[in-house]
Amino acid sequence: MSASSVGATDQLATPPAGPAPMVAEARSGRWGDLWRAVGRSKKAVVGVLILLFFTVLAVFPGQIAPYSPTAKIFPPALGPSSQHWLGTTNVGEDIFSQLIWGTRLSLVIALAVGAVATLLAVLVGVSAGYLGGATDGFLSLVTDVILVLPIFPLIIVIAAYEKNAGLLTLIVVLGVLGWSYGARQLRSQTLSLRRRDFLESARVRGERRSYVILHEILPTMTSLIVATFLGSAVYAVLTAAGLQFIGLGDPSSQSWGTMLYWAQSNEALIAGMPLWAIAPGVCVALLGAAFALLNYAFDEISSPALRVRKLDRARLPSVEPSSEPAEPVSVEEGTILKVEELTVAYATDGGPVVAVDHVDLELARGEFLAIVGESGCGKSTLLYAIARLLGAPMAGEIVGGRVLFQGRDLVLLEEKQLRAVRWRDLSVVMQSAMNALNPVLTVAEQMRDACRAHSDWSNAEIEVRSREVLRLVSIDPVHLHSYPHQLSGGMRQRAMIAMALLFTPELIIMDEPTSALDVVAQRSLMMQIKELQEELGFAVIFVTHDMSLVSHFSDRLLVMYAGQVAELSQTSELFDRPLHPYSQGLLGAFPSIRGPKVRLTGIPGSPPNLANPPRGCRFAPRCPSAEPRCTAGEIPLYPVNGSLVRCVLVEDAS
Amino acid sequence: MRFILRRLGFFVVTLWAAITLNFFIPRLMPGNAAEAMMTRFHGHINPQSLHALEVAFGVKAHQSLVGQYFSYLGNTVRGRFGTSLTFFPDPVMKDVLQALPWTLVLVGLTTILAFVLGTMIGLVGAWRRGGLVDSAMPPIFVITSAFPYFWIAGIAIWLFSLKLNWLPHGGGYDPIDTPAWTWHFAHDAFVHAILPALTILVTAIGGWILTMRNNTISVLTEDYVRMARAKGLRPWRIMWTYAGRNAILPNLAGFAMSLGFVVAGAILVEYVFNYPGVGYYFLDAVTNQDYPLMQGLFLLITVAVLTAILAADVATAFLDPRTRDMR
Repeated sequence: MSASSVGATDQLATPPAGPAPMVAEARSGRWGDLWRAVGRSKKAVVGVLILLFFTVLAVFPGQIAPYSPTAKIFPPALGPSSQHWLGTTNVGEDIFSQLIWGTRLSLVIALAVGAVATLLAVLVGVSAGYLGGATDGFLSLVTDVILVLPIFPLIIVIAAYEKNAGLLTLIVVLGVLGWSYGARQLRSQTLSLRRRDFLESARVRGERRSYVILHEILPTMTSLIVATFLGSAVYAVLTAAGLQFIGLGDPSSQSWGTMLYWAQSNEALIAGMPLWAIAPGVCVALLGAAFALLNYAFDEISSPALRVRKLDRARLPSVEPSSEPAEPVSVEEGTILKVEELTVAYATDGGPVVAVDHVDLELARGEFLAIVGESGCGKSTLLYAIARLLGAPMAGEIVGGRVLFQGRDLVLLEEKQLRAVRWRDLSVVMQSAMNALNPVLTVAEQMRDACRAHSDWSNAEIEVRSREVLRLVSIDPVHLHSYPHQLSGGMRQRAMIAMALLFTPELIIMDEPTSALDVVAQRSLMMQIKELQEELGFAVIFVTHDMSLVSHFSDRLLVMYAGQVAELSQTSELFDRPLHPYSQGLLGAFPSIRGPKVRLTGIPGSPPNLANPPRGCRFAPRCPSAEPRCTAGEIPLYPVNGSLVRCVLVEDAS
Repeated sequence: MRFILRRLGFFVVTLWAAITLNFFIPRLMPGNAAEAMMTRFHGHINPQSLHALEVAFGVKAHQSLVGQYFSYLGNTVRGRFGTSLTFFPDPVMKDVLQALPWTLVLVGLTTILAFVLGTMIGLVGAWRRGGLVDSAMPPIFVITSAFPYFWIAGIAIWLFSLKLNWLPHGGGYDPIDTPAWTWHFAHDAFVHAILPALTILVTAIGGWILTMRNNTISVLTEDYVRMARAKGLRPWRIMWTYAGRNAILPNLAGFAMSLGFVVAGAILVEYVFNYPGVGYYFLDAVTNQDYPLMQGLFLLITVAVLTAILAADVATAFLDPRTRDMR
């Protein structure tokens, strides 16, 4: 039933962040990829096999069926036997032969209605989405009206006037009434595609509309078009069977629905011919299920979140056991967080990918540590691993190492024990408050449930504290009872920071909390974070891809590259004397605020594929000063004047 | 409020479209079915029946098509569907109102039950991702929801009433009873409703489970769910107010679509069970060529579906503040 596809296609999941890039990005949904994906899905394979089976029956019924389906030559109402596998009807026809001959009509109806409905859906949906304006308004209204009209009774009304409707009428009527759902989906997909760069560029190039639609839009919507076809095929199989069952349409035609009609009117179940009524129903269900399974499998292919992948630990390059639980944890006085050898892997279709590779770091009370690196370098994964928040959409798993916080190894804590630590001692601020705040709860409600989880404050106390933290981040407490969508971008972000301050935790983990804001708002938010930190004394781990943003605020800077620490040193030290060529490159990519005007160089090339990282130094392929020894073996972190640098060039200095 | 008003406006448009279709379908069929029917019946049925057909089709001698259309529209809006041919001389409205409560109770309650149960099972299944229930669910329910309702109904009758003799095999109540507000009758009606209700439930629930499961899985990847985990909320709270409340929104939006299947299924289930509801009378009217009754019932079904969808819209507005603020 196409109902199964409603939700998943309604809100196609955003591609998961992090190094799990098997999502059909807009332009890669071509036929080849699609078929490979189909081959990997068990549901799709079963669906295809059932369809193939019925197709063979439909094409060669004369060769397969032992008798003519209409020959009334046998004794009536026989039970199943070796001559008549399913018995005979009350007038002595062979039920098995009727079943095989009936396949053809059911399959033809399914495919033809699927084709007609899909064609209409594509025409209406894509035109509405692409042309916009009044055309869209009109087409959308028609689509919505047909969508909510009760189609089945309407078809019955039509059939009632046209008693002996032929096959063609049936197909046309079912197709013309069954396209609306697909059209609606295709329209919204077209609308979102319209804003993509590649379409803009095609328009700028001056391509003709028809070219843009045929060559740019339609190929990217392959999976949705296929889903529309399969959905309308399911609907056609069931609706046609229903119509034939109540005797509308040609009662002399050979179809499963007609068999059910005759079985019902001869009370086959009571009259000792149960298989006459059972077998055609099973066939209808099997054919419907085949289309529905395929549809479901396509859903899973187009939104990979629906699939469960298991991390194959045996295929990890180097697996080390997690730390022993009993070991007493000794951490230096003043250190609140100590990360040791933390390693995180993702399960992908091509095997495990190590996204964070043996990372060590320490954090002192009240310290501000910034982690910088390109997208996909593992910085966010590291952050969420420390906070034990991995899981969909970042389906990474910690496969080794320790995260010592408050004398305990967070990696080993049960979810229940973790809950006691969360928010009271360790809170999180995320990249986009638009996504991180629950859209259906007010700010007050979202603060309240955090307070409820960790305190026994009364409602009044919670209200007072919520107002207090809002004032801390310069938001007028009148906004406390607003919903997230009613606040401006900057206010949402501040509200999230306010929420993180409810219990004044020891450590706040921030994942690019300013990247959704404009430059001025970024600056003022950074100042605010720094002020709050100095006032309240919490430590911060701050992830960003924008090095210049943290230059004035962070105490130390950790540069990450391809899942590893490239360089870790005092912020001022790193800005003045970057040692790793990658850090130098990053600095070259950002304009200096204080220094003289220099040409921005940037870093040529792109980060390596973590599924198969290069041997030795992972930066070597892009490094201007690479030498043969760079790729000879694993490069350790060399200590140089209080900094840590993963580069052989500093070996002599260390 | 504005959102609800806009939806109401949309439903007026849809209802108008349904009435208009009702008027034009018999005229658009090959050979103008309406006219042909009138000619065919002329002299064969009594003048009153002929008049009933005239009202049903909106055919009046010496009136232009536009004129016919508007007088038809006026009659329909005022609930004048003409006279039923099978239950002559009952006005169609009377038969319609007689069938309505049976369907409302049977189909209405089972649909709500299927929606609520299916939504909850889908939510919990997705929440326990990769568990036994979750991995077994999709293939099982994809297949159960592909079974035709009427077929399940037939098998249910055969198994539970003919073979096992546990439950009555059809009808809304025992024929020796007369409908009355007594405990005895209520019990009788309840027993007769069990099998049809289970049939609708079993076939309708799969769709809701699968949609809710997929929605929930998408929602579980949202940042606000991770944020809820970061806040150290209890899993129960995260599941209901963070995952569930957001995942149900597209499910409500898909309600319109899935309702079509339920209505189609319910009509056939009533037919197989001889259940004295709207669907049964509707098919009965089709078989007996009682066009006035058929048209009246079709409009009633349309109104019922629209009301259900409007209820889903109200629920959406209630659960989603963004819809409430939509201008």
